[in-house]
Amino acid sequence: MRLIALLFLMPLPAMADVAKALDHHVLPATAQFSSASHALADLAARDCTAETLKPAYQDSFDAWLGLSHLAFGPLETDGRALTVEFWPDPRGLVARTVRGMASDADPIVDDPQEFPEVSIAGRGLMALEQLLYEPEIGDLARADYTCRYIRALTTDMAAIGDAIAEDWQQHAQLMQQAGQPGNNRYLSDKEPTQVLYTALLSSLEFDADQRLGRPMGSFDKPRPKMAEAWRSDRPMRNIALSLAATHELATTLAETEIPATEAAFATAMASAKAMDDPRLIGVEDPQERLKIEILQQQIRAIRSAVEAEIGGDLGLTAGFNSKDGD
Amino acid sequence: MLGRRGFLASLAAGAIAPRLSWADAGAPAILGAAREPDGSYALFGIGADGSDRFRVALPARGHAGAAHPTAPEAVAFARSPGTFAVVLNCVTGEVIARLTAPQGRHFYGHGTFIANGDILCTSENDYTTGQGRIGMWSRRENWRRIAEIATHGVGPHEIKSMADDILVAANGGYRSDPARPGEKLDVDRMQPNLSYVSPDGQLLDQVELEPALRQNSIRHISFGRDGLVAFGMQWQGDPADGVPLLGLHRRGQAAILDAMPIHEAIAMQGYVGSVAFDATRKSVAISSPRGGRVQIFDDQGTHLHSILREDVCGIAPADHGFFLSDGLGGLILADSSLRPLAKHDRRAWDHHLVPVPI
Repeated sequence: MRLIALLFLMPLPAMADVAKALDHHVLPATAQFSSASHALADLAARDCTAETLKPAYQDSFDAWLGLSHLAFGPLETDGRALTVEFWPDPRGLVARTVRGMASDADPIVDDPQEFPEVSIAGRGLMALEQLLYEPEIGDLARADYTCRYIRALTTDMAAIGDAIAEDWQQHAQLMQQAGQPGNNRYLSDKEPTQVLYTALLSSLEFDADQRLGRPMGSFDKPRPKMAEAWRSDRPMRNIALSLAATHELATTLAETEIPATEAAFATAMASAKAMDDPRLIGVEDPQERLKIEILQQQIRAIRSAVEAEIGGDLGLTAGFNSKDGD
Repeated sequence: MLGRRGFLASLAAGAIAPRLSWADAGAPAILGAAREPDGSYALFGIGADGSDRFRVALPARGHAGAAHPTAPEAVAFARSPGTFAVVLNCVTGEVIARLTAPQGRHFYGHGTFIANGDILCTSENDYTTGQGRIGMWSRRENWRRIAEIATHGVGPHEIKSMADDILVAANGGYRSDPARPGEKLDVDRMQPNLSYVSPDGQLLDQVELEPALRQNSIRHISFGRDGLVAFGMQWQGDPADGVPLLGLHRRGQAAILDAMPIHEAIAMQGYVGSVAFDATRKSVAISSPRGGRVQIFDDQGTHLHSILREDVCGIAPADHGFFLSDGLGGLILADSSLRPLAKHDRRAWDHHLVPVPI
């Protein structure tokens, strides 16, 4: 009885939206990625030809975009987020690693226990993209090597998907027991909300600065091949999916109506949908480039709306040191 | 025995000045600057238990401070490229002196004491030539500027005095100009170095990195055992490159660079905000507020573990492990586990924590 009385005295508002975000947003996303990566691995075990696997690869990437913006906690353990998707990759480490594995016919692919020792640039979705969409890899490798590599890689990724989903069950508890003794991760009941809020802002920044900014390069030097997963036609799709995921997070996190945020999301999502340029090659064309720049500004406008409406309402700020140099 | 008049006369002459110590300021273990919930700025003295020991208002956002080795006096610097610093009496809260950078110079936000605390050294820029300077200010002579020496490089950031008052300067390599705050100039031509300079300005030793790492700005310093210097770097190339960000150097030997797991290196976003050894000086920590993490290494540069904290930046040695501060009001003791010492909502701790000499 006393415990219940105490519970009623505890500050509840900051907890309530976290529980909602966990149940309606985070945990379903982990389950979806785990199930998609298993479907991919199961299919690869039966038939590892590129044409068979491409749709399942795309499904897994879609599911990943529902989760990848939650780049803290279970996604940070052992560098899981970068292992699932090694991007951005300015030095071309994925291509180098995959080509090295293929031309050496590295036997590590035959040992599921050992495969996680492979450099993270040789694992996950970006390495798989090379194996499925780069015809040259097949020329480098011995006949069945690509197949064995794909099986090892997809099995590994399914295991990571399971580990993320399992860890999230525990991490969700940690977030809901923030500020309690022994909770080293969330030292006050405000921190879970803060972490989700920062993930939301970081994801929007990532869409604008990395997903769009990298291929945009400069006006004089656009770099379409720096776009995310362009070989598999995903640059624009990833932005649309990322916006959908952050929109869902924003609406579950907010405690009040967020009309400016909703409007900003709607504007950017409509622009993304209207754009008929899956690989963002338009960065090289002045007129098309303008549309991409406008989308970039619209995504930045979401960020401002989120800061004003959600951040202001919850009393949250971000980036006192991270946005300041020296 | 002195009469009252005689006592006052000798006091004025500085013969028996009442000697205040850090104990009179509440015996803080560390100093940290912060933004308060109302938007104002202050310097705090913080006890080893995380409690506030003193609070002195600052005129603007601070960057780092320098603690006098014996007297409870702290020098608080404005953010780079600033032109002011204030010397604070941490017992009374009074401003003892305001230091203004001479014409053609600006401060870089760090300073250190030599000559047993008689001389304050400040890292500065001669912004017409871009050459780094160390300004020297005499505490005895009412904080008069008495000398200036070269840092032997461009864009010095942190400077720190080691044994024999040898000054170690982290010459960041690129230029800046107070008329263009926040801008990094000449990055494509940058040439950072770590320089060991005698108090009379002679270059004793200098470390440069290999050409492939020329864009790695050497910015912060901490001292380990037997002359070991740890330096933290900020990569001016692509933040996703995942280059080494911690160097360890001992005079007469080659520098060692860290070996972090690649995912941790990339997560640091090419940025180190602070570097500090722990009290045993056997392990060293670097922080990245942009990556929301601290990396701990042994004194050979071997990676030990990572600590994840949003907007974490300040690091100082604790009796065991490290004090860590973040921009969200958190002050944490990190040893075998993480323990919150204080959580001041909306008190945003700024970049650096400065240990107070005991």
